[in-house]
Amino acid sequence: MNMRAEIQRTPAEAALVDAFGERLSLLPGDGAVMVKRDDAIEQVKAGLPTRRVETWHYTDLRRLLAAVPDFDASAKAKPVAPLLEGSSVLSLANGVSSASADIGGVTFQRLSDKLTDGSYAPALVTYGKDDAIGAINTAFVADGYFVDIEAGAQLDKPIELQNIQAGGQSHVRLPVRVGAGAKATIVERQTGEGAGLVSSVSQLLLGDDAEVLWLIVQDQPETATHLAQFKAELGKNARLTLFVMNAGGKLVRQEIIVKASGEGADFKLRGVNLLAGDSHVDVTMVLDHTVPHTSSTEVVRNVVTGRAKGVFQGRINVHQIAQKTDARMACNTLLLSDDGEFSTKPELEIFADDVACGHGATVTEIDHNHLFYLMARGIDEKSARGLLIRAFLAEVIEELEDETVVDPLEELLSNWFATHG
Amino acid sequence: MPAVQETIEQVRKIDVDQYKYGFETVIEMDKAPKGLSEDTIRFISAKKGEPEWMLEWRLGAYRRWLTLEEPNWARVDYPKIDFQDIYYYAAPKSTPGPTSLDEVDPEILKVYEKLGIPLREQEILAGVEKTVDPDLEEVGDNVYKSGRVAVDAVFDSVSVVTTFKEELAKAGVIFCSISEAIREHPELVKQYLGSVVPTSDNYYATLNSAVFTDGSFVFVPKGVRCPMELSTYFRINEKNTGQFERTLIICEEKAYVSYLEGCTAPQRDENQLHAAVVELVALEDAEIKYSTVQNWYPGDAQGKGGIYNFVTKRGDCRGDRSKISWTQVETGSAITWKYPSCILRGDDSRGEFYSIAVSNGYQQVDSGTKMIHLGKNTSSRIISKGIAAGFSQNTYRGQVSAHRKATNARNFTQCDSLLIGNQCGAHTVPYIEAKNATAQFEHEATTSKISDDQKFYVMQRGIPEEEAIALIVNGFVKEVIQELPMEFAVEAQKLIGISLEGSVG
Repeated sequence: MNMRAEIQRTPAEAALVDAFGERLSLLPGDGAVMVKRDDAIEQVKAGLPTRRVETWHYTDLRRLLAAVPDFDASAKAKPVAPLLEGSSVLSLANGVSSASADIGGVTFQRLSDKLTDGSYAPALVTYGKDDAIGAINTAFVADGYFVDIEAGAQLDKPIELQNIQAGGQSHVRLPVRVGAGAKATIVERQTGEGAGLVSSVSQLLLGDDAEVLWLIVQDQPETATHLAQFKAELGKNARLTLFVMNAGGKLVRQEIIVKASGEGADFKLRGVNLLAGDSHVDVTMVLDHTVPHTSSTEVVRNVVTGRAKGVFQGRINVHQIAQKTDARMACNTLLLSDDGEFSTKPELEIFADDVACGHGATVTEIDHNHLFYLMARGIDEKSARGLLIRAFLAEVIEELEDETVVDPLEELLSNWFATHG
Repeated sequence: MPAVQETIEQVRKIDVDQYKYGFETVIEMDKAPKGLSEDTIRFISAKKGEPEWMLEWRLGAYRRWLTLEEPNWARVDYPKIDFQDIYYYAAPKSTPGPTSLDEVDPEILKVYEKLGIPLREQEILAGVEKTVDPDLEEVGDNVYKSGRVAVDAVFDSVSVVTTFKEELAKAGVIFCSISEAIREHPELVKQYLGSVVPTSDNYYATLNSAVFTDGSFVFVPKGVRCPMELSTYFRINEKNTGQFERTLIICEEKAYVSYLEGCTAPQRDENQLHAAVVELVALEDAEIKYSTVQNWYPGDAQGKGGIYNFVTKRGDCRGDRSKISWTQVETGSAITWKYPSCILRGDDSRGEFYSIAVSNGYQQVDSGTKMIHLGKNTSSRIISKGIAAGFSQNTYRGQVSAHRKATNARNFTQCDSLLIGNQCGAHTVPYIEAKNATAQFEHEATTSKISDDQKFYVMQRGIPEEEAIALIVNGFVKEVIQELPMEFAVEAQKLIGISLEGSVG
C-alpha cells in the first residue's frame, strides 16, 4: 500500500491519453483554453479514481471503464423527435452543433465558437482532483450550446438540448444562463445508438427570482458509457426543479452539483432510475446551502432488475452561516433481483445550529401485503407487481403536475417496462 | 431560546475544562525502551512470559504493520503520530502478578479509590463513578443477584487485579487478564484470538496485534448465564505511553454475559495514543452485551492534549440465533475513531448498536458501526445520538450491508444530531449496501432543535417550560440510556450532565 510506485496505466487511461495527443490539433480553443486542457489531461494521467476515492466509493471508474472507443468522424447520429411537444430543439449530432432554431427571448451560440475565441475558458473548471468527469470533458470538449435566456423572459415553449451520440467519443458542454425573473422549461436529452463514450457537462446559472424546470432524460443503449455532470447555482428566491430519469447505458455516472447561494432559493430534485441487465448507474449529488433561508427536497426512486448495480450518493452541506436551512432527502429503492445490487450513501454535513435537516433511505423488495391485497382481488402476480412498481415510480413523476410533461415521461416509463418488465 | 440556554448549561458541565479524572499519580514504573521495533515486541512478550507462538504472532503482525499506511478517510484531523516517541510498555513496579488485593501497590489502589472504583469485593461498583444508591440493589433483577460486579483493573500496560475470580470460576466462567489467559488457557486464546479482527485488519488493529500489553479475557461456557456483571476499568497514568489493550470475550452455546468498560486518563498537554482491539464471539443462542462509558481526557479548552482513541471493536455472531449488543456513551478523548461492529454470520442472529456521542471543546468524534449481514433472517438496529458543542466535530459513520445469501436481512437505523453553537459540526455518513432482494433496510437521520410545536404541546398541558424541555429531551436519549446496565445508566446520565437537555433531533 505504501509502496505505490509509478502507476501502471489501464488500457482506458492509456487510450484517453493517446487520444488527447491525436485530437489536440483538432480541438477548438485559444491559448487560455489549451492551458485548461493540458491541466485536465494531467489529471487524467494521474489515474482515474478508484473506490479508495471517497466520492467514487461505489463506482471504481478505473476498473469499470474497461475500454475507450476511438473518435469516429464518420458516425452519423439519427435525429430524435423532441420529448415535449412544441419544443425548440438545439441538437448535437455526435458531439457537433448546428445553428438552427430561432427562439424569442433566447440567444444561443455554438460552444465551439466560444472555445475558439477563448471567452469560455474561465468556465472550464473542475471541482477538485476527484472530478474525473470534469477533467475528461475539459480535455476533450469540442462543442455544445451556450444558451442565454434574457431577464424577465417567460418562455411558453420548452427548449430541448439534444446530445445524440452514434458511437466513438463525444464530449459536450451545455452552459445555460437564465436572467432574473425568467421562467423556462429545459429538456436535456442524452441518447443515441452507438457503443460510445459520452461526457457531458451542463452548467446552469439561475438569476434572482428565476424559475426553471430542467429534465434530464438519459436512455443510452446498453453498450454506452455516459459520464455526465449537472452544475447549478441559484440566485435569490430562484427556484429550480431538476428531474432526472436514467433508463439506459452500460456505465452511467450522473453528478449533480448544486449551490443554493441566494437567500430564499429552493431546489427540488426528483429522480427515477431504471436499472436492467448489466448496467452500472451512479447518481451522485452534492448540494451546498451557503446562505441563510434556503430550502431543498430530494426524492430519488430506483428500480433494480437483472444483474444491475445502482448507486445513489447524496451529500448536503450546510455552511456555518446558512441558518434556517430546511433540507430533506429521501432515496427509496426496489431491489427486484437477487443478482442486483444497490448501494446508497446519504450524507449530511452540518455546520449551522438552527436548521432542520433529514434524510431517509430504504432498500426493500415489493411489500408482500400490498401484493396480497391486489392478488386477493383477482389480479395475477405479474400484473400486480407491475402495478406496484409503476405506482412507486409514478409518485415522483406526477409531482411535476404539468401533464404535458408528465405524460411523455410516463410513456418513457411504459416503454422501458415493455422492454425490461 | 431557553431550550438552547439550558442545553448549553448542561453541556458546559461536561466541558473539557471540568474533567475531574485528570490527576496524575507518581508510581515507580517498569518501562520498555521508547520506540517500536522487533526488540520492543520481544521485550513485551518476554515480560509477559508468553509462549513462542504468541511472539511469532506479534512479530508477524508487526512486519505486516510496517507495510501499511495510516488511514485518512475518517473526518478527523491531527498531526502525524511519531510511533517511535511512545513507550509501548509501562507497568507499575510491584510484586509480579499479585494474587490478592493486599499485594497490590497501595498507591494504585488509591488511584482507583479516587476514581471511585472500589476493588474491595464487598463494595458495589457503579460504573465509572461510585454511586451510593441503596435502591440499586433492590432494583437489579435476580439475574445479577446483588448487583455485584467483577472488575479487571488495567493500569497502563498491565492488569493489576481481577476481582471475584473464584466465585466466577465456580460457575465455570473464566475472567482474567489476557496475559494470564495466554499462559493458562492457550488453547482457547489460540482458537479465538484474531479470529474476529485478524492481524491484517487495519492499521491500528495490526499495531495492536504487535504490541498489545493487556486487557480482559472472558470465557462463558455452554449454557452458563454469567452470574454477575463483568467490568474492566482502563486507566492511562504514565506519560508518553500508549495503551494497547486487547479484549477477547467468548460466549459458548446458550451462554450470556454482560460486560462493562470504563476509561479515564490524566490531564496532560501531550496527546496519548490508545489503540485497542476488542473481539467478541457469540456461538449458537449466545448473547453478549458490551457497554462502554468512555471518558478519556479530552484535551483542554484550546484543544491541547487529550487521548487519541483509535479502537477496533467487532463482534462475530458466529452461531445461529446469537446476539451481540453494543452500547456506548462517548464523552472523552481528543479524537475518537471507532466503529463497534457486528458480523451477523449465524442465521437469525441479531446485532444492536446504541450510542450517545457528546463532543465539546476541540474534540473530534468519528464513530458509528458496521452491520454485516451474512446469514439468513438476520436483523440489526442502530440508534445513534450525536451532540456537538464548542468547536467540536461529531460524525456518525456507519455501514449496513447485506450479502447475496443474506435473505430477509433487516436493518433499522436512526441517527439524530444536535448542534449547540455555530462553531461546531455534525455529520452523518451512512453506507447502505444491499445485494439481496429480500433485504429490508431503513435509514433515518435528522438534525434540528426542539421544535416549538413539541414544546407547545407539552406546555399546554400545564407543564412548565424547563420540565417540558426535560421531558422531550429525555425521550431523545432514553433509547440509548435504557440499554445500559442499571449501574452504568446512572453513571452515564451523570456524566453527560443528567440528560443532555435541549438536545432533540
